[in-house]
Amino acid sequence: MPGLYRTLKYAAVLLWSAFVVAPLLWALTTSFKTINGVTGGATYIPWLDYKPSLEGWRELFNTSGTGVNIGQPFIDSAIVTLGASAISLVLGTLAAYGLSRFTYRAGFIRNRDIVFFFISQRIMPPIVLAIPFFLMLKFLGLLDSIPGLILVYIALLLPIAVWVMVDFFNNVPREIDEMAMLDGCTPIGAFIRVVLPNSLPGVVVAGLFCIIFGWNDFFFAFTLTFTRTQLLPVAIVALNSTVTPWWSLSASSLISVAPLVVVAFLVEKFLSRGTLAGAIR
Amino acid sequence: MAQITLKQIGHSYSGGTRPGDYALCPLDMTWHDGRTYALLGPSGCGKTTMLNIVSGIVTPSQGRVWFDQRDVTGLPTARRNIAQVFQFPVIYGSKTVYQNLAFPLVCRKWASDRIRRKVGEIADLLDLGAKLGKPARGLTADEKQLISLGRGLVREDVSAVLMDEPLTVIDPQMKFHLRRKLKEINDRFKLTLVYVTHDQDEAMTFASEILVMSGGRVVQSGPPEHLFEFPQTTYVGYFIGSPAMNFLDAEGQGDRAVFAGIPLTTAYPGDRVPQGAIRIGVRPEYLEFVATAGENVLAAMVVDVQDHGGVRIVEVEVGGARVKVKLAREKPVPEGPALLRLPPGKIRLYRDGELVPLD
Repeated sequence: MPGLYRTLKYAAVLLWSAFVVAPLLWALTTSFKTINGVTGGATYIPWLDYKPSLEGWRELFNTSGTGVNIGQPFIDSAIVTLGASAISLVLGTLAAYGLSRFTYRAGFIRNRDIVFFFISQRIMPPIVLAIPFFLMLKFLGLLDSIPGLILVYIALLLPIAVWVMVDFFNNVPREIDEMAMLDGCTPIGAFIRVVLPNSLPGVVVAGLFCIIFGWNDFFFAFTLTFTRTQLLPVAIVALNSTVTPWWSLSASSLISVAPLVVVAFLVEKFLSRGTLAGAIR
Repeated sequence: MAQITLKQIGHSYSGGTRPGDYALCPLDMTWHDGRTYALLGPSGCGKTTMLNIVSGIVTPSQGRVWFDQRDVTGLPTARRNIAQVFQFPVIYGSKTVYQNLAFPLVCRKWASDRIRRKVGEIADLLDLGAKLGKPARGLTADEKQLISLGRGLVREDVSAVLMDEPLTVIDPQMKFHLRRKLKEINDRFKLTLVYVTHDQDEAMTFASEILVMSGGRVVQSGPPEHLFEFPQTTYVGYFIGSPAMNFLDAEGQGDRAVFAGIPLTTAYPGDRVPQGAIRIGVRPEYLEFVATAGENVLAAMVVDVQDHGGVRIVEVEVGGARVKVKLAREKPVPEGPALLRLPPGKIRLYRDGELVPLD
């Protein structure tokens, strides 16, 4: 029986892997095709089925001036995502620690109302926020600029960071802070030297969410930029023309997925380490 | 080490000042330098609140805390230099055993070789020397609890060590080991130790003085033997001693306490015996079976015998009440009808739950 169970288990894992990997493989083969390779029916194996070409990849880094170059959008996207994620993470972690450990009261508003206020920012459909953000950035002279986008993304990512971290800190026993203070730390010292290292998995999860949401956003990158600044998702869409260039679209989507795959692999180690396990009891 | 004085310390978590609002009713208390105290009482009686007020984790709603000649009420926890061990072992899971033990000294900015020497010394004392390089989160509960204690001991000038039911989560065998270890450390360092527990055996092992608490008040304090011999209230009588003190409804008539129609002689002077409804308290240890009738001897019926190894607990029915008798193993246990003697010197009288003083 254990043999059968194992076989079924592996079969399920294989099936799921195929489900996840197949689209990526499809994109990978397509990215090496030319117009003939795509339109002449389904082909799978390079050299046998079709003649591989680097045309799709070359088009992405076209420096001749007429085509598209996704190098700069890639860098801009990285700056905006990492910048906004880092700031959201720092502010969100501090806010979450405060909300988890101290009691705030303003009229009928309590800690959980404040946490809900943060989360509620994500309840609205983004389209509702487009015009206010547009007007605010215009007022600040930050339309079509990287700092402007970072500012908007912080507003989008901060609720996620706060939400994840509040929950995480609520699960870190208060005694850890108290013990650190008994050992001679100030309240801030207890947070930085003891609680934060203990909460690393939470910070990593929050960071991961921020990076994914930031990197993948198309809507605000599209509505708040025009000519000077262009982020990767917008640049990829701009590749499209009357004849859909499947080959370069495939290549560019692979490029845009790659950083997240790398991040996922880096983070996976952290998450499985289970740093919190056994901190108490 | 320091002498800790609580002056009119009281705390109410709700902020109210009616008697029912207090988790800890206003009280005065002095814990002397180098002595060990046990706070004994059921859950929710204010023990932990009192400790947290001393260490500064809780700011009392009223009163002042003094360490020696210094008022520390406004001082943050970090500057009070208290070592506290909580009910559940608290370790810094992201650090190694060494880093855990060294943490208080790192906070105090000691030189690293001095830290290494001190941590090594304390680790040897706690038998953690071989585990210094290991991640602290991988240790067993009792080892974690030793780390909690160790973080207190590495600081040479600690004002007091407060332990909040530190053995609750430890399994019985390790409990014995850890208890002995704590006692050994305490004897060596002469700590000002305050030990919270609801286990009276534990209290008796450690403490030179026991404070019995109930409903946010200290009901009685004193050396273990005093609490055992003269429980101030029937509550203390129930709480201290195993099995609890026997209490019998009786009536004060003249200089005698009359129980089930039989006048009993006590050590109380004649004019001290309260008239009317009273209760007789007598420890199971002091009751004895006798062969012949005489003074303070009652007819009893043995109902049940429990063998506790070294001793036997004999439950008897006497005058419509149930009492327990604790007998050493070698003493014979009567079957069925028996004669039970209440030694006059060991009878305590209670009126409205309070001990009637002997002198």
